[in-house]
Amino acid sequence: MNKNIILYGAILIFGIAAPFIFPAFKVQLSILCILIILAITWNVQGGEMGYNTFGNILFYGLGMYLCASVQVGMFFPLGEWTEGGGEKTFVHTPAQFFQGFAVGLAVAAVVPAIIAGLIGYSILGLRGHYFAICTLGLGVAAGEISGGIEIIGAGQGFTTPPFPNVDRLEARGEFFYFCSFIVLVLTFLAVKAIYSTRFKLVLNAIRDNEDKAEAMGIQTMKYKIIGWMISAFFCGLAGGIMGGLVGYIDSTDVAFDGREMGVFMVLMAILGGKGTLWGPVIGATLFHIFKEGFWTFFLGWQYVALGVLIVVIVIYFPEGIMGWLREKYPERFGEVVDEADRKAQVTLK
Amino acid sequence: MKIKNIIITFVSAIAILFSTSVVSFAKVVGDKIILGAAISLTGKYSSNGVHTQNGYNMAVDRINEMGGVKVGGKTYMFDIIYYDDESNPKRAAQLAERLISQDGVEFMLGPYSSGLTKAIAPVTEKYGVPMVEANGASRSLFTKGYKYLFAVLAPANLYLDVAIETAVALNGGKGVRIAQAFEQDAFSQDVRLGILDAAERTGSKIIIDDKLPKELNDMAATLAKVKAVKPDVLVVSGHTKGALTAIRQIAEMKVDVPMLAMTHCDAAKLSKQHGKNSQYALCASQWHKTLTYKDDFFKDGMTYAADFEKLFGYDPPYQSAESSAALLVFKDAFERANTFDQKKVRDALAATNMQTFYGNIKFAEGGQNVDKPMVLFQVMCDDAGKCENKVVAPLKWASAELIHPIPKWSER
Repeated sequence: MNKNIILYGAILIFGIAAPFIFPAFKVQLSILCILIILAITWNVQGGEMGYNTFGNILFYGLGMYLCASVQVGMFFPLGEWTEGGGEKTFVHTPAQFFQGFAVGLAVAAVVPAIIAGLIGYSILGLRGHYFAICTLGLGVAAGEISGGIEIIGAGQGFTTPPFPNVDRLEARGEFFYFCSFIVLVLTFLAVKAIYSTRFKLVLNAIRDNEDKAEAMGIQTMKYKIIGWMISAFFCGLAGGIMGGLVGYIDSTDVAFDGREMGVFMVLMAILGGKGTLWGPVIGATLFHIFKEGFWTFFLGWQYVALGVLIVVIVIYFPEGIMGWLREKYPERFGEVVDEADRKAQVTLK
Repeated sequence: MKIKNIIITFVSAIAILFSTSVVSFAKVVGDKIILGAAISLTGKYSSNGVHTQNGYNMAVDRINEMGGVKVGGKTYMFDIIYYDDESNPKRAAQLAERLISQDGVEFMLGPYSSGLTKAIAPVTEKYGVPMVEANGASRSLFTKGYKYLFAVLAPANLYLDVAIETAVALNGGKGVRIAQAFEQDAFSQDVRLGILDAAERTGSKIIIDDKLPKELNDMAATLAKVKAVKPDVLVVSGHTKGALTAIRQIAEMKVDVPMLAMTHCDAAKLSKQHGKNSQYALCASQWHKTLTYKDDFFKDGMTYAADFEKLFGYDPPYQSAESSAALLVFKDAFERANTFDQKKVRDALAATNMQTFYGNIKFAEGGQNVDKPMVLFQVMCDDAGKCENKVVAPLKWASAELIHPIPKWSER
């Protein structure tokens, strides 16, 4: 266990030091944290429970709108803030900004979780492709609906409160980085804790054979809903932070961005290896680095490069990087391997 | 537990990767002034993004050829670092951050569209980076108190109110019945606000007020309503796709309406793509090549259009012209400031008062250009089916008379 402590300590120190070591990359690092959160939470459904959801983007977008709305609405009339022409300009004092943001984040976490519970109750009875397609609709519908609600800016978009004028130019980047890093750590610890309990086994049982799990006396519906609520909680938090970081919320391009974020979270989890704790973390990190790289070096062709990457992943690492490692070095994953048997298998191949 | 070692190696690999990629080119290197721009090269705004980029590139080449920028007795050349914002505000904000904090850019050119400009402006503002933008017309950009944002174009709410006023004048000063459909984005919604204002001012009534989705390829529902209630004016705005969809479906459904007012007809190359079907469409434009403004670099609109066509093979839409003008504004401001100090350049920009081939440029407190009216042109076709955009309002520049009402499809 010693090695574990060293590892976690190292990552924690790296996380805290990162914005000071790479001051120019604060925004990318913050986004990396958000991506990892999304990948980890997607993995709870897609990886552990075997329910491929495209609906998590709904909670992310909700969190974004809720956080910004609360942050503005606590101190100023929201309707006037977002009013089309934006004729009136309100300025948050630093205290208002941070108070609003804190309350906003709390709302952004709790409300999506409740909504996940309600939606989950009605649609988690669907299985397989039906569930995936149904959740795909959720994000699209939410984007269209929010694009028509005047009080949150509708098609005009919603400019989130600008970061208050404190003397340091770096403050904004550092603030949002640490927010996202802290939420990432919380998400990771929460999910790790859950994975060490019976809960994970139940999720796995649902994935492997839901009917048998039910026959065993497990109330699968209850577990599915709770699992989704946990994901929604952290997705909402991630969305709230992302809204503040980007500074401008657009219904379909930033908040309910199913085409990008919604698909990326699935890709990242699969790239790293779904159904593992570290897989989404590694997947998201690699994915972000590749994406940033493609962006710089293949201007205009980045999506082609990304597409090639996805094809390569699917062909060569269908189980993700963690899955590949597990196959190659099973003993390092704590699996007992009969050396003679393994050799026999290898020669058979 | 060797797997943890792999993770450690992995984390350090990232660390190395990040640290080696910290290459900072400062804004002025040797004899180069490096500007940064995030442009939509892919995604829904990609065609207009390319118009913008072509406009920037043409101006950079022209200014460099003609002696560059003289600051402090030295001659500098313009250069631009481009990134692709994929028509996505989130990406645009990230890229602005990247251009400024990683690439060390100290002066920015704007992206295409109001939404993306809205996402970038808070970033440039935070770092005090002067940005001259040519494609963000939304009124709300100019009411946020931004100090470092300068737009060479007239705000979006002014785009089509000339059309409403013209319609009312032709109706003997009485209010008209307006049907309108706007895309759900910052720019089009602002055009809508302008129409609402104009309607209230002139006592006109809005009888259809539809919203169009962002991935715009069908507006048959709106047009069916238009056919049923027969408004006096139909207003459509939704960037290039909106203009193309409207013309295509109006022709297909043979919708008769006395006046059709739109935006982005020239960017959509309507007259070329749809020929006679696009005839009589009335379009708001920031610029038209027949306007008589002049400058030393591009001479006038006609020369600009000819040079542009030679380079890129198509008639320049106003998006390209205004983008070229942005570079002229920067050059002028650098020379007047005579330094690369961002604050001083910002002050010089604020004091801009010049004429370019594209129009007069003078910035109001909020950063919008107040010295340049919008023009309206109408697509007109000859018997051979060759269509052209002709300016019909304001009268000062009109090269043709407005055809009103639009003949019915059965009579065409």
